[in-house]
Amino acid sequence: MDSKLYLAENVLNERHAVTYRSLSRALKVPANRAKQVLFEFHRNENAKKPQTVHATYVISGIQKAPEPAPTNGHANDEDEIMQSSPDLPSSMPNQDASSYSTRIASIILAREEDLEDAKSTFQSISTIHVYSIEPTPLPDLNVLVDVSREIATKYAQEDPLECGKQWGMIQNRNVKRRTGTRPPPPPAAKAQAPAAKAPRPSIESTVPAKRPLQKEVDPAKVETKTDDPNSQPSTSANSQSSSKSAAKAAPAKKGSLFSSFAKAKPKQKTAAPAELSTEDVVLDDASEEEPEELFPDSGDKAAAANRESRKEREEKLKKMMDDDEADDEEMPDADEEPSREPTPIEQPPLSKPVELKEEVTVQGGRRRGKRQVMKKKTVKDEEGYLVTREEASWESFSEDEPAPKKKPAVNVPKGKAGKAGQGQGNIMSFFGKK
Amino acid sequence: MKSDNDYGFLCPPSKEEQEQEPVYRAPSFYNPLHTFHLPAGQGRHYKQQYGDMYFLRLAKLKPSVEQVATDAWDGLIIAGEKVRRVDRVLDVRQGELCWVAGTVYMDLPMKPNILDDLTKENFTSAPPPRRTYTDPLDPSLTQIMLEDESGRLRLTGNFLRTTQLATGAIIAALGTENANGDFEVIDIKLPDLAPQPQRWEGTSQNGPSTEKQSGKIAFVSGLGITGTSSDTLTLELLTDYLLGYTGFSGHDENSPSTSSSKITRLIIAGNSLGASVTTEAASAGSDKAAIAKKAMPKKYGYDASAYNASPITQLDNFLAEILPSIPVTLMPGDKDPANFSLPQQGIHRAMFPQARAYSAPPPRGEDKPEAGWFDSVTNPWEGDVEGWRVWGCSGQNVDDVLRYLNFESTELSLEGDTDDSESRVRVMEAMLRWRCGVPTAPDTIWSYPFQMDDPFVLQTCPHIFFAGNQPQFRTATIQGDVPLRLDGDTDMMDAKDNYDGSRVRLLAIPKFNETGELILVDTETLEVEVVKFGVFKGREEQK
Repeated sequence: MDSKLYLAENVLNERHAVTYRSLSRALKVPANRAKQVLFEFHRNENAKKPQTVHATYVISGIQKAPEPAPTNGHANDEDEIMQSSPDLPSSMPNQDASSYSTRIASIILAREEDLEDAKSTFQSISTIHVYSIEPTPLPDLNVLVDVSREIATKYAQEDPLECGKQWGMIQNRNVKRRTGTRPPPPPAAKAQAPAAKAPRPSIESTVPAKRPLQKEVDPAKVETKTDDPNSQPSTSANSQSSSKSAAKAAPAKKGSLFSSFAKAKPKQKTAAPAELSTEDVVLDDASEEEPEELFPDSGDKAAAANRESRKEREEKLKKMMDDDEADDEEMPDADEEPSREPTPIEQPPLSKPVELKEEVTVQGGRRRGKRQVMKKKTVKDEEGYLVTREEASWESFSEDEPAPKKKPAVNVPKGKAGKAGQGQGNIMSFFGKK
Repeated sequence: MKSDNDYGFLCPPSKEEQEQEPVYRAPSFYNPLHTFHLPAGQGRHYKQQYGDMYFLRLAKLKPSVEQVATDAWDGLIIAGEKVRRVDRVLDVRQGELCWVAGTVYMDLPMKPNILDDLTKENFTSAPPPRRTYTDPLDPSLTQIMLEDESGRLRLTGNFLRTTQLATGAIIAALGTENANGDFEVIDIKLPDLAPQPQRWEGTSQNGPSTEKQSGKIAFVSGLGITGTSSDTLTLELLTDYLLGYTGFSGHDENSPSTSSSKITRLIIAGNSLGASVTTEAASAGSDKAAIAKKAMPKKYGYDASAYNASPITQLDNFLAEILPSIPVTLMPGDKDPANFSLPQQGIHRAMFPQARAYSAPPPRGEDKPEAGWFDSVTNPWEGDVEGWRVWGCSGQNVDDVLRYLNFESTELSLEGDTDDSESRVRVMEAMLRWRCGVPTAPDTIWSYPFQMDDPFVLQTCPHIFFAGNQPQFRTATIQGDVPLRLDGDTDMMDAKDNYDGSRVRLLAIPKFNETGELILVDTETLEVEVVKFGVFKGREEQK
């Protein structure tokens, strides 16, 4: 039988303690059945060879009062009508009755050895069941806490709303739970908590690859993403509105910072998800929007599937890491969100589509990335003409920067400057190269 | 071992997999009131003077207490002199029998004084808690004064010895001013219980009044999770019980009928976390200055590496585990990560990465925040649960009022009993009769400086009035006044059966980490039951 095998393996071989709840979870049986399974195992094993397994029991019922009080009992009327007087009288006639007449039921955990003693403290016993079995007597029952904490981490993926029934949990028809991504699994163990920082980046770096739906999103269409339910399943209305407002705010910034990102057309495969997910990281403190999308819970599955691509990327990342430092000091700006507004003018003048790559990594919880952008270079050739060329080059960006945008204004001044600066071409080309 | 089979689970599992009928929990009718909700962010100011609160409280309660006093004393003639009503404290004339209403102010020798703190320049740390503000050796140092917007009047007289008062209570006092300029009190009146709503009155939906299905409301306080494994075994048993894994089979007639599926809601009344998260200042210590100094660097020299997240993680796990089955109302306490001054605002859901999935979405704009399945509420808190009006605090109010009173020196010493749980219930009763849930705020309990409203005044009388984190479980029922109060217990006892006036269930909820007790209140009768969780310590002593 499956349960016997499980118990033999865990209790006898691995020498773990097994509680009825951990058994119930492992075998997917109701808790009440798990109690019986534990009892049977305990009895059978000890019949074969005494003292192989030990048990703890839970006794529920009504305990005898520590020192028998005369009023103890099942008096139904525990009401004490306090003297109705306005000013805290110093004598309360009925006060003796009030504390003892309330029915006190007890649920007590006891070791096997103490079972009879414990039972003798009860006036009436409602149920006794096995709580746990373990290979040796427990010097400290608190060990059992670790078993249940293990449950919490081991079966964190199981939705209690769906699986509760099979464990025998009391169901509730009215549970309200917010939709959205599942909460993150709790940290694996207390001991690992300090180390949790380290593995996180790798988990997060798989985020883009985990969103197959978004892979196909054309950057040119990205601006419609707030309307597209697929592109970001858990986008709340909050982020919608904020991204809209950001879109409004964005044009004001156009001229300054991003004019150098000319004609960026990120490579389709990875760029779009990466840009979208940068938005996830933006933590809007003011609106108290919770970053639940931040830690999707599928670390394992996705990691396995994407290990290959991740390795590749990590290698590349290593190469470029040294360029990254410049951005480290940037503070996340709550309002800023990637807003892409490609307009016809922004299309690269070159008819040949240029493939650009983009890499995203995470350092200390912040998203960093590199992307390949096309930069214009204006040089004077041998014959003295100014020649404008486009070259692919790498540059780093951080989470809060919007995706590269092209300004109509960018080309015009440059062209003009090139013409006007015929005589001083050297200086212009010097700045242009930057 | 012969009777083991009677207990249900001490038998091998039956061969055939019997399909278990899922047990469903009774629905919970819940409507939290946002009485103590402070405006967020910009709307919260700390520059106002506290005097407004006393002014508002007096303005609100003076009519009530004057009504009570007028009913009792109007036309009363004592020793040939007619009792006269005086509007303002300063209008009391010497030798004249009169009554006046005002706010009680008590000057106690050990009371923390902000001016002392300022002169010592250590006002940045919380005054360490004291067991009492009174000086039992010299009760004469205690001065009780009655004040209103005009001035103060010192109260005196033997009557006050049998009366327990605390700062902030609104009373009417009958007496006469003596040669010293003190007011000899011969009787006082309190506002008494506020009007009590009918059951279901506060809720829009009219409840399942047709089906008389009795449920239970569970109260627990002082979970005191410290993150070490030692404190959570009873918590595990509590979890098992609430989820229905453990319980009482009920086929024995002696067994309690307490099936946990009847519990419709769990209310956690403060101090869910143990002391290790916050500073140790809260622990009762003798050398206050030393503690205050020690607490300072801890509080401000916050070190992320020294911070232990384990308690809050365990609390989150606990909540996330029970929430799929039972709705939870969580109140902060003085040891929880919330603001310290009352009303404490709910613990932010960002502290609960798992449990917050069950909480209500953040309110948008002007919308009233809706009640979440997991509701992190204020302390004190007021709301309608199963139609009953519930008013509760995590215990600071009772603890503090108790410091004003010298129960210890009077009757309890006679009993040779150090436990003051009786006084605690009596303090709770007094609060209801004072119509003020936290009378000593803002005097000795830190409080938000309310300016427009004093929410601590009980506008309506609750059906269940609870205080968390008390040393012992205690309960009592008090009744409001019959319209014409007769001084005599016999009338009250007779009236008990067919009495339909206000009736309040008082609950002093013990600390779970000390007693392991969960309090269940029946939703139909307001009867109270206790479920105690524990570990049998039989053999441990032998080691």
